[in-house]
Amino acid sequence: MARKILIIDDEDDIREVAALSLESVAGWEVIKASSGAQGLARAEEHLPDAILLDVMMPGMDGPTTFRELRKNQATAGIPVLLLTAKVQGTDQRRFADLGVEAVLFKPFDPMTLSAQIASALGWK
Amino acid sequence: METTSQPGPHADAALSQAMDGLWVRFLPDIQERVTILEAAAEASGKGKLAAKQRENAQSAAHKLAGVLGTFGLTRGTVLARELELTFARESSPRRNAGTKLAEITAELRAMIESRKSSS
Repeated sequence: MARKILIIDDEDDIREVAALSLESVAGWEVIKASSGAQGLARAEEHLPDAILLDVMMPGMDGPTTFRELRKNQATAGIPVLLLTAKVQGTDQRRFADLGVEAVLFKPFDPMTLSAQIASALGWK
Repeated sequence: METTSQPGPHADAALSQAMDGLWVRFLPDIQERVTILEAAAEASGKGKLAAKQRENAQSAAHKLAGVLGTFGLTRGTVLARELELTFARESSPRRNAGTKLAEITAELRAMIESRKSSS
C-alpha cells in the first residue's frame, strides 16, 4: 500500500519538485495545497499519512497551519514535517519546539526526500 | 510494510529527465527572482534602495536559496543565501554593499543561464 502525503507549499516549483520526487522515487500518492488554508481543507478531506509543511507562506504560515491542524480532532494525529530554507539555529530550535515530527531543509535532494521522510517517521 | 523502494539507475535517469522538465517550466519564475535581485543591487549601488524593494529582494533570495540546490545548483543556493542575509542586514543602503551585491547577482544569473543551456 502506498503512503499518502500532503504537501503544503506556496512556491509552485518546490511543491512540484517534491511531488515528483515522492511519486517517482517512492511511489507515494501526493496531494498538493498552495496555502495553509487550502492545506487544512485537504488534510481533513484526504487524511494523509503525513504532511510536508512549508514554514514561510503568505497569509497562514507553517507554524500557524500546524497549530490549526492540531486543534482539529480529525487531523490532530497526522504527523507533520516542516520544510524550511531557514538555516539559523534559533529558527531550527523554534520549529522543533512546536512539536512537529521533524524539520527538513531546502534545498533537498529529490532522490532522497522520501527516505528522509520515512526515516524521520520510522517508516520501514 | 515496505513504503520506500530503492531507486535504481532507471529511476535516477527518469527523475533527472523529469527534473529537467520542471527546470524549463519554472525557469521564468527563477529568472524573475534574479531580475528582482539585480534591480535591488543596482538601487543599492545608487544609494536608492527603498525598504519595500529590499524586502522583496530578501524574499526573492530566500526562494532562490531554497530551490536552486534542489536542481543541482548548490553554489546557487550559497550565493542566494549570502544575498538574503545581506539584504536582511542592509536596513540602510550603502554603495559599497551595492557593488558586492551586483557581483554576486551576476554570478547567480550566469549560473542559472548555464543550467538552462545544459538541460
